[in-house]
Amino acid sequence: MQNPDAIVIGAGIVGACSALSLTNAGLRVLVVDRGSVASGTTGAGEGNILVSDKDPGPELTLALRSRDLWFDLQDDVGDSFELEAKGGVVVARSDDSALMTLADSQRMHGVTAQRVDSHELHSLEPYLHPDLHSGVFYPQDAQCQPMLAAAHILRTVIARGGAVISHAQVKKILSHDGVLHSISTTQGDFRAPIVINAAGTWAGEIAALAGSHLPIAPRKGFILVTEPTQHYIFHKVYDSDYVANVASSDADLQTSTVVEGTRSGTILIGASRERIGFDGSMNYDIVRTLAAQATSLFPVLRDVNLLRVYRGFRPYAPDHLPVVGEDAEIKGLWHSAGHEGAGIGLAPGSAELITQLITGKTTFMDPAAFAPARFARVSI
Amino acid sequence: MILVIGGGPAGLAAAVAIARNGQEVTILDSAPRAGGQYWRHRTRVDGYKSEKSAMYLQEVAQNPLIHFISGANVWSASRVKDRFAINYLVSGNELTITAQKLILATGAFDRSLPFAGWELPGVMTPGAAQSLLKGHGVLAGRRVIVAGTGPFLLPVATGIAAAGGTVVGLYEAQSPLRWALSPVALLLNPSKFAELLYYAKQVRKYRIRIQFGKGVTAFDTHSAVVSRLSSDLEVVAGSEEKIECDVVAVGWGFTPDVTLGGILGCAQKVDLDGTVIFNVDQNQRSSQKDIWIAGEATGIGGSDLALVEGEIAGLDCVGIGISPSLAFRKIRKTLFARALQKSYPVGNGWKKWSRNTTKICRCEEVSLQDIADSVTDLGAFDSRTAKLFTRAGMGLCQGRICSRNVSEIVAGLQGCQVSDNERIGYSNRPIATPISLGELSDGKSTK
Amino acid sequence: MSAPINFTFNGSTYSGEVGQSIAAALISQDQRVLRTTRFDEAPRSIFCGIGICFDCVVVVNGIANQRSCLVEITEGAVIVSKQ
Repeated sequence: MQNPDAIVIGAGIVGACSALSLTNAGLRVLVVDRGSVASGTTGAGEGNILVSDKDPGPELTLALRSRDLWFDLQDDVGDSFELEAKGGVVVARSDDSALMTLADSQRMHGVTAQRVDSHELHSLEPYLHPDLHSGVFYPQDAQCQPMLAAAHILRTVIARGGAVISHAQVKKILSHDGVLHSISTTQGDFRAPIVINAAGTWAGEIAALAGSHLPIAPRKGFILVTEPTQHYIFHKVYDSDYVANVASSDADLQTSTVVEGTRSGTILIGASRERIGFDGSMNYDIVRTLAAQATSLFPVLRDVNLLRVYRGFRPYAPDHLPVVGEDAEIKGLWHSAGHEGAGIGLAPGSAELITQLITGKTTFMDPAAFAPARFARVSI
Repeated sequence: MILVIGGGPAGLAAAVAIARNGQEVTILDSAPRAGGQYWRHRTRVDGYKSEKSAMYLQEVAQNPLIHFISGANVWSASRVKDRFAINYLVSGNELTITAQKLILATGAFDRSLPFAGWELPGVMTPGAAQSLLKGHGVLAGRRVIVAGTGPFLLPVATGIAAAGGTVVGLYEAQSPLRWALSPVALLLNPSKFAELLYYAKQVRKYRIRIQFGKGVTAFDTHSAVVSRLSSDLEVVAGSEEKIECDVVAVGWGFTPDVTLGGILGCAQKVDLDGTVIFNVDQNQRSSQKDIWIAGEATGIGGSDLALVEGEIAGLDCVGIGISPSLAFRKIRKTLFARALQKSYPVGNGWKKWSRNTTKICRCEEVSLQDIADSVTDLGAFDSRTAKLFTRAGMGLCQGRICSRNVSEIVAGLQGCQVSDNERIGYSNRPIATPISLGELSDGKSTK
Repeated sequence: MSAPINFTFNGSTYSGEVGQSIAAALISQDQRVLRTTRFDEAPRSIFCGIGICFDCVVVVNGIANQRSCLVEITEGAVIVSKQ
C-alpha cells in the first residue's frame, strides 16, 4: 500500500482494533507485523474482557467503555469470535471484607457487582467447593476467542481498504525535527504521517527504534488446558487473590486462581505472574500450584486431565496502566501498548481513545493517566 | 542410578548391555509387557528371527540387575541439580523416580496421511493391525487391505494371513526398484536378503497379492478406492478401482516420539525425511549431559539399528569403550536406514486425496476446508496460527497425528516450505501424557 | 485357557480373554464402532492402536477418556461411549 494515512505496528488485538477504528474514521491503514496475525501475546491470551478485577480509576473507566465496544465490534465485524457475556464470579476463600469493599467502590463507578451468599453462589456454580460461602457476581465480565477476533477484525480492515503485511519486521523509525517521517521494514519502506506502536510486549523495542523510551517489560503467565469434559463451570470464576496480584509489583512469582470453561469443552486454568524477562521455559511447580488452586475451588476437577500448558508474556508498564497517546517528543508517533493482562478487554476502548485523539474529536474520557509522556526521560 | 525409558529393542539392548557389565538398571515402559512396538507379543514370538527378541526379553525377565516397571506413562521430567526427576503415571497414580543417568529410547509411531473416509471405523495404521493381532490375538477385520509405504507392511500382511485372515491386497506406493539407488547399503547388509526371502516365501505361501505404485485414496466402510500413484503420490487420473474390504491398514513410515528428550532440552534437528530427531554423537550422547538417546528418535532406522544404538548407549553409559566391530555394525545399519528413507519417500501428492470435508485434525474434527479458510480468510501462515484459528492440533493427541500434515497443507497453500523451527515446534509438548489435576495437586514440588 | 472375562459396553454384554484390551475384545466380536465424535457425532474406532491418537477413548467405570486400545478388560467393567 502506497502512502497510507496511518501505519499500525502489531497485528495483535490492540493493533487490530486500532486499525479498524481508524479505518472506520475514514483513514487508509496499513498494519505490519514481524510475524503474522496474533503471533504475540494475543495468541497466548484467554480472551478475558473484565471489569471485575479493576480498582476504580482510569483503567476501570477504560474497561467499562471497552467492554461495551466489544459488543459493537461483534455487530460490525460479525459473530465470528465467540463473544459471550459470560459473567464473572469472584469467590472469597476466607475473609471476604476486602472483596466486598472493592465491590462497593466499583459499584459506585458503574460496575454491576452483586454480592452473593452461599446459596446464590452455589446456584451460579453448583460444583464449587461446599465450604465456599461468599462472593460477588459481575454480569458484565465477558469472554471471546482473541486470535479469531484479531483475525476477523483485520479481515474487515482489509475489506474496507486497509492492508496487512505479515513477516515485516520494523528496522527503523525515521523522524525529522521531531516529526515522524517513515518506517523501514524487511518488506519495504513505508511513509505515513501517523504510526501507532501496538507491539505489545515488544513496544519498548519499537519505541527505541524511534529514539523514544517506553518501559514495557514482560510479565510471564502460564495457562493450563484440560481435556474436553462435560460442563462443570458456567462463568469465569476467580478467587479474590486475583485482584491483589494484578496490582502488585513484586518480581517473585505470584499465583491466583482463575478457572473457566470454553465452548469446545476444555477448561482453562490460570493464573501466574512472574517478571523473569523472556524466559519461556516450563515450570512444573507452577503447573502443580495452579492445578491445586483450581481443584480447591472445584473438587470435581480432580478427575479431569491436564492436556497442555502454554505461556505468554504480558506487556507490563511500571505503574500498571496502559500507554495510550502521542509520543512525548515525536509528533505523529503514537503508542497503544502495555495493557498487561487486560489487552483483550481494553483493546477496543484504547482504539477508540487513540482514534479520537488522532482525529481531534472529543475523547470519551480524560486520557492523561495513559500518556506516554509520563515515561519521558528528563533531559539534562 | 541408571534409568532407561522405553522397553523396545533400543531400550532393551541398552539395559542388557548395562546389566552384563555388572550395573543395575531400571527400565520404564508404558506397556504391560516389554518389547515396544516391534516385539510386544502376548504369547509366543513369531515372525522373522524371533530368537533375537526372545533372548532380550528373557534376559530382562531373568537378570536380577534389570528392573522393569511396566504400565508407566511419563508425563514430565526435569533436571534437579545432578540428577533427573522423572514423573510418571501407573494406573493414573503419579510416582517419581530419580536417576543420575538417562537413556531415552521412546521409539516412534506410524505416520498417517489423510484421505477421503480415513476417519471411518475400519481405517487404521499398520501398527494398530499388528498390535491387535500380536498383542491381543485379534484379527483387525475379515477382508484387510494393507497399504502405504515401507517394509513394515510385509510383516503386518503376512501376520494377518498366517492367523487366518484375508489380505485382499498389499499396495506399496513405491517401486522396489528404488532399492537400486542404495547398492552399497544392500551389499553391506546381507542379512536383509535373508529377511526378504523369508517374507517372499510367506507372501507366496499365503498368496498375498502385492502391487507396487498404488495406494488407497478413499474408503467407504465396505470398500476402498485404490489408485495408481506417481512416485510423488499423485493419483494417476482414471486409474481408480474399487476393492471390497472392511479394514484398511495404512501407514507411511514412522514419526519418532521426541517429547521427553525435548522436555529435557536435548537439541533436535530435522532429518532428511522431514522427521524431527535428536542430535547425538557417535556414542549416542545427546546435547545434555548424562542423557543418551537410542533408536528411532535419532533417525528412523528399524529394529536392527535400534539394537546397535541401544547397545552403544548402554556401554558408553557405564564407561565401556565401543569395539570397532560394534561401531562398524552401526555404520552398516545406518547405511541401511538411509537406504530405507531413500526407497520410501513420501511426496506431496497426498494433499489431493482429501475432500474439503475430510477431517485433517481427527480429534477436533477440523476439515481441509477449515484449514484452507484459516489461510485465505484469516491469514494463517504456519501450523501454529492455523491451530489457533481452527483448533487443529489442540485435541487429546496434541497434534501427534495431524501437526505435520496441517503444517504441510498450510505451507502448500502459502507457496512456501515448512521451516525446521516449525517442525521442531509442532513435535514438542511440555505435557507428555495426560495427567489428572488431582494427581498434579497432590504431587510434591521439585524444590 | 483361562475363563472369559465379561463386561458391558453401552449396555450390551461382551466377553473377552485375559490380557485383551477393550478395543480388541470388542472388535473380535464385531463391535467396531467405539464412540461418536463430540461435534459431528461421527463414528470412530481404533486408529493407531498404540495409545497415541486417542480416537478409541471410552468411559470405563465412570472415568472418561480412557484409551480402549490400552486398557485391558476386567470382569464386570461398565464401559460406555459417552457419559
